[in-house]
Order: sequence, then structure tokens, then C-alpha cells
Amino acid sequence: MDADERAWVDGLRRGDSAAFDAAFAAYRRRVYGYLIRMVRRRDVAEDLLQETFLRLAQHATRLAADTRLGAWLFTVAHRLVVSWSRAQAVRAQLAGDLPARTADERSPLEALADSQAQLALERAFAALAPAYREVALLVGLEGLAPTEVAQILGHSPEAVRQRLARARTQLAAALGEHAPAAWRTS
Amino acid sequence: MTDEDDLHALSRELPAVDLDSTTAERIARRARHDIGKGPPRRRLILPILAALLALGYAAWGIIKLIELLG
Repeated sequence: MDADERAWVDGLRRGDSAAFDAAFAAYRRRVYGYLIRMVRRRDVAEDLLQETFLRLAQHATRLAADTRLGAWLFTVAHRLVVSWSRAQAVRAQLAGDLPARTADERSPLEALADSQAQLALERAFAALAPAYREVALLVGLEGLAPTEVAQILGHSPEAVRQRLARARTQLAAALGEHAPAAWRTS
Repeated sequence: MTDEDDLHALSRELPAVDLDSTTAERIARRARHDIGKGPPRRRLILPILAALLALGYAAWGIIKLIELLG
């Protein structure tokens, strides 16, 4: 836990809105990046981001002094993604199959890619099963330790490491010629 | 290199994603308003209703049982 994070947690525990603003500024991109890559819809990601930070605000004065804010926020975001996914599955069952995206239609994330390699990478992450994509994002992009991710997801560290290994294998296969050179030889 | 190192290196190449500033400010303002307020009351209503329903069924069951035995 770094000094900034400790100061934000102390401030939040006192109900200090400046501490909330600092934490929001520090984590909003990271949490939003995780959310949009999990739900793949901008409007839903924004709603879930709002809910994540609403819960931080509502729980602010009851946070433990040693709360690791990043892990706390990703735990809430993960639970919201799980709830949303369940609701989506029920809705899909009730409504029948929705029309699939056409092959040349780009998602909002793919539209951000400024090279073929980035596009291939974004698509490779999107093609991962959600359980593998989640650990790949939290460990790879967010730099969280597998033990921390295990706590966030409620799994064992070993299960997280297995998912990481599978995510890496599937990414390498999906990326093909765009995979890093070291991956192609290993 | 470990799987973690590999994924760190690869993920750095993903396009940067962010909210537009208007949406970010709207979310921050909405959440800031709730600092320290605790969970909204509406989230407590459903569990309370479920508990009352369960208690009602239990009471009805006990009354019926007493009637049968009596």
C-alpha cells in the first residue's frame, strides 16, 4: 500500500470528498478499462463504473484502515460484472437469440485500435472466455498479483495461475502472426 | 519469462480506454453526494419483505400444527 493510497483511505474514512476525488481520478480509467473489456458495452460499463464508485462513497467511512483501494474497487466491479452477466443470460433466454454482430462491425474498443496489431490484440482478448479474460486483464493490464486476483475473484491462487496459463495459450493462438516473437517459439 | 510477465508485456499494447470528461464528472458528482451515507434503504426492503414472508409462513405452520394437535 503506497502513501497516496493510505492517505486516500484515511480521507475516505473521515468522509473527505477531496480524498474521494483523488481516488476516483486515480482508479476510474483502470476500473473502466476492466469493465468495458468484460461487458463490451460502453453504456453498461459506465453504469457499472458509477455503481462501483457509489459503493465506495457509501462505504467510505466504514473502510478498514488497511484497505487496498484497488483490490476493493476491482472486487466490487467483478461482482457487478457477475450480476450483470447473470441478468444478461436470463434476458437472452427470455428474448431468444439476439442478432450476432457482423464480421466487419467494430466494437467501441476495436474502434480505438490504431494499428492492425492493436486490433488483433483487442480481438484476441475479446475472444477469450470471460473467466480467462478477467485474470488476463487483472494480472496483465492492472499489474495485480495472482494472490490478490484470487482474493478478488474468490478463487485459489493456483486456479488463477492455471487460468493465466490458459489465457496466454489462447492469446498466442488467436494472435498468430501478431503474437510476440518469444511466444511463437515457446 | 512467466505467464504474468508475458501478459504484462502484451497488455501494455492494448489501446488506452477512458471515459469522456463529462461522463466522468457526472459519475464523480453523483457518487460524491453519497459519501458516508451507507447503502440505500431500498436495498434493505427486499430482504426485510422476504424475512417477513418467511416469518408469516412459519407462524401459520405453527398455528396449523397446534390446531391439528389440539
